[in-house]
Amino acid sequence: MKFRKRAFLVALVLLGAAFAGQLVLRAFLSNRTLLSPDALLAISFGGEALAFLLIGFFVSFLARGFGAREMGLAALLLAIAAFIALRQLKPPSFSYDRFFASTEELILWAALTGAGAWLLGMWGASAGVLLGAAGTPDLRFGYEAGIARTHLRLNRRTALTLIALGLVPPGLLFAAGVLASLRYRRGAETSALGVIVAAGAVVAALLLVARWVQARAALARLQPGQRRKRPATVVMTAISIAGVAVGVWALTVVLSVMSGFEADLKHKILGTNSHAYLLKFSNDFSEWKSVLPKVAAVPGVTGVSPFILNEVILSHGQTVTGAELKGIDPATAGTVSELPRQVIAGDLKWVASPQDIPTSVVEPRSEASKQLEGPEYQQYLEDTLKRRQQHPEEEKNKLDPQALKALPGVCIGKEMSHQIRAWVGDVISVLTPLGEMTPTGPVPRSRPFRVACILYSGMYEYDSKFVYIHLPEAQKFFRMGDNIMGLELKFNDVDAARAEGRRVVSALGGFPYRTKDWAELNRNLFSALKLEKLAMAIILTFIVLVACFNILSTLIMLVLEKTKEISILKSMGARDASVMKIFVLEGLTIGAIGTAMGLLLGFASCSFIERYGLQLDPDVYYISNLPVNADVGQFCAVALISVALSYLATLYPATKASRLSPVDGLRED
Amino acid sequence: MPPLVEARGLHKSYWLGEKEIHVLRGASFSLEPGEMVSLVGPSGVGKSTFLHVIGTLDPPTAGQVLFEGRDAYAMPEEELAAFRNRSIGFVFQFHYLLPEFTALQNTAMPGLINRYSREKAEEAARQVLEMVGLAHRLDHKPGELSGGEQQRVALARALVLKPRLLLADEPTGNLDEATGEGIHQLLVELNRRLGIAAIVVTHNPRLAERMPRRLRLSEGLVIEGSGEEGEVTSSGAISSPPGPGT
Repeated sequence: MKFRKRAFLVALVLLGAAFAGQLVLRAFLSNRTLLSPDALLAISFGGEALAFLLIGFFVSFLARGFGAREMGLAALLLAIAAFIALRQLKPPSFSYDRFFASTEELILWAALTGAGAWLLGMWGASAGVLLGAAGTPDLRFGYEAGIARTHLRLNRRTALTLIALGLVPPGLLFAAGVLASLRYRRGAETSALGVIVAAGAVVAALLLVARWVQARAALARLQPGQRRKRPATVVMTAISIAGVAVGVWALTVVLSVMSGFEADLKHKILGTNSHAYLLKFSNDFSEWKSVLPKVAAVPGVTGVSPFILNEVILSHGQTVTGAELKGIDPATAGTVSELPRQVIAGDLKWVASPQDIPTSVVEPRSEASKQLEGPEYQQYLEDTLKRRQQHPEEEKNKLDPQALKALPGVCIGKEMSHQIRAWVGDVISVLTPLGEMTPTGPVPRSRPFRVACILYSGMYEYDSKFVYIHLPEAQKFFRMGDNIMGLELKFNDVDAARAEGRRVVSALGGFPYRTKDWAELNRNLFSALKLEKLAMAIILTFIVLVACFNILSTLIMLVLEKTKEISILKSMGARDASVMKIFVLEGLTIGAIGTAMGLLLGFASCSFIERYGLQLDPDVYYISNLPVNADVGQFCAVALISVALSYLATLYPATKASRLSPVDGLRED
Repeated sequence: MPPLVEARGLHKSYWLGEKEIHVLRGASFSLEPGEMVSLVGPSGVGKSTFLHVIGTLDPPTAGQVLFEGRDAYAMPEEELAAFRNRSIGFVFQFHYLLPEFTALQNTAMPGLINRYSREKAEEAARQVLEMVGLAHRLDHKPGELSGGEQQRVALARALVLKPRLLLADEPTGNLDEATGEGIHQLLVELNRRLGIAAIVVTHNPRLAERMPRRLRLSEGLVIEGSGEEGEVTSSGAISSPPGPGT
């Protein structure tokens, strides 16, 4: 355990280089690329962490062991150097009170850098020690794996049991989901039965498996009066596997549901909104008709449509509500959003041709009932229609049919229609405070519109706030002449909206044009969602962490149980690294089996939720079914985290075992 | 030519709570290649400790163990492990076989530790198991073998890599007399056939008598001869050890 100067010096230089590299990489990426700040941080800090791991691995060979002291001293000096460097660089503060980071923040950063360097270095060094950094590198693990297998009792029978336990419940859940989706099509009443059936099937299957295992065990080894002793460690191993599986299960399901929410939200936002707005740093965008074809010609742009957006007040009868009035071009609106497909009654085209709006009662579209599940909504539709039929003369008293036909059309959201009790054909008043000056002062301007269609996007805010009129009507209403507010854009690749937007702006010659993409427009919503997801991920990772403590204690028990065996192996010449390998392999096996089971269970649960469609109250949530989005990358990340944590859990017991003296186990008797 | 093993002034002490227990107090001795000696002494005198120290398992508090003139405990851990793997075989009072492996797999273990291929290790194991008379028991697990057979497997395992030194710690202590006798005969025969030097710790005076050279451990020192008549060798001074075959 002597201090090795060379290892220390190399560690110091490399750690310093990694830290400097991180700073340079971050500066370079932020200047030269269009990456989001999150991606930037992830890449630069991820790279730094990876470098620390590799440095630890490398230094372990120089230090012929963990090199804890060498790395520790080097990390300490790195922390001091980082503090000095950060002081010079003046990084931005996380606090809103000041612009530059305070000394306390710098100390925190430096300490985190040092601690991270040491911990990650030790992690990397553990891999080095495993591969024989202390002497001759040795990548083989033939007999170690064999011994690890016997410690875990992983013979053919237990393997079969594990496969059965790992596959049967998820399989049943999956089947139950498929079954439920079949039943669900027939009616909502059977779905409760479906849950009971599915749950019953799972329980029955678990009982059957347990029974089968018991029967096999009885057949295999229980002769009358004889009972094979099963060490506590085997039970603990099973518990550890179950712990990891539960953690991974929870993590995957919750993250999938969160992703589902996110994806659903994105879908709905992009259904109503375009991918980006093309705006101008001035109020005059009257040249839009010449800009439009240029924008449409930019590769990657799939749709362009002009718009005007302003706030107004709506009234119908006695009810008044605020709204966002959007002037659109119904002919091209479909190319940038899903508006035409959101119509549940009437027709979007009628805003441009209000004379087509019928004076008779308009029935909701038949496909709308598919979108709008739930008895409450049926009730609402009935009420609305009944009211229309009961008071058909309401508007007719005021306006003759011809004048009625001449009124411009407006499309309103479903919630709005609910609030102001207006249906297709009703006349509503739109009021803007931007009115005329009269001798008595400014008077708001008001115009009657006829409801042309009802829209349903699924987003409560949109359905209760947005109303759409024809673009020329909006220009007239707001007295804008031929001016518009901007162009709505749609791209091939939603996720590259920012980069695509910049390309459009540069195609137009840059300033005074600019774009705002959907992520920017809805930043609050998405960053809240991301934060929520991150918090959930961290909290649920703690479940896996706790499961890894299970692995830790199981392995410590195993080491204690196998002290004698370790001694014998060492007396036969097994190296310390080999003994370490045995226990690391055991922990990794436990972790990997648990992870695989958890992933299968998670996948089956996601598929079940998706197919069965757990109902949410659409008045509370903007979503009628619990959404899930089982993302492969996310599953892989969970698996990686879980296996990495179980590897960490093995290090202490494995190192302990490897450092046991050979006589420790021989002396006992 | 230096002797195969030479122990110089071995001291070994343990701390038992507050009390220091001196097990070895300057024990010295040397062993020529192919020589076979017995080591006797009352229980608790430190025979096992002595064997562990000689067998590079337990570093002495003071003193040196030289293998062909090389200080064993000066070697780094990995090198020492490799040396132990190839040059020293251990047999203990209990067989200490790995219960989940068959006789063949148990015997092949030192070969596998030496990173032989599975085939090579098992071939070597098969030969040694035949030598100890267990050719028909290759695929039995230790639980399915008798006590004598288990100890034979342990012996085969100790010898599979053809070490130059065999250390046997009461190999017959847990067996009945007839079986123990068989093991002993096997030990002597193997020593003769393979020329492996051996130190056999035993409680059985009749078995000890049969060895060409007898040592006794007393008061932390190694004494030549098994009875009271043996001469006491002072630490470090060993009068001309007998050569092989004498």
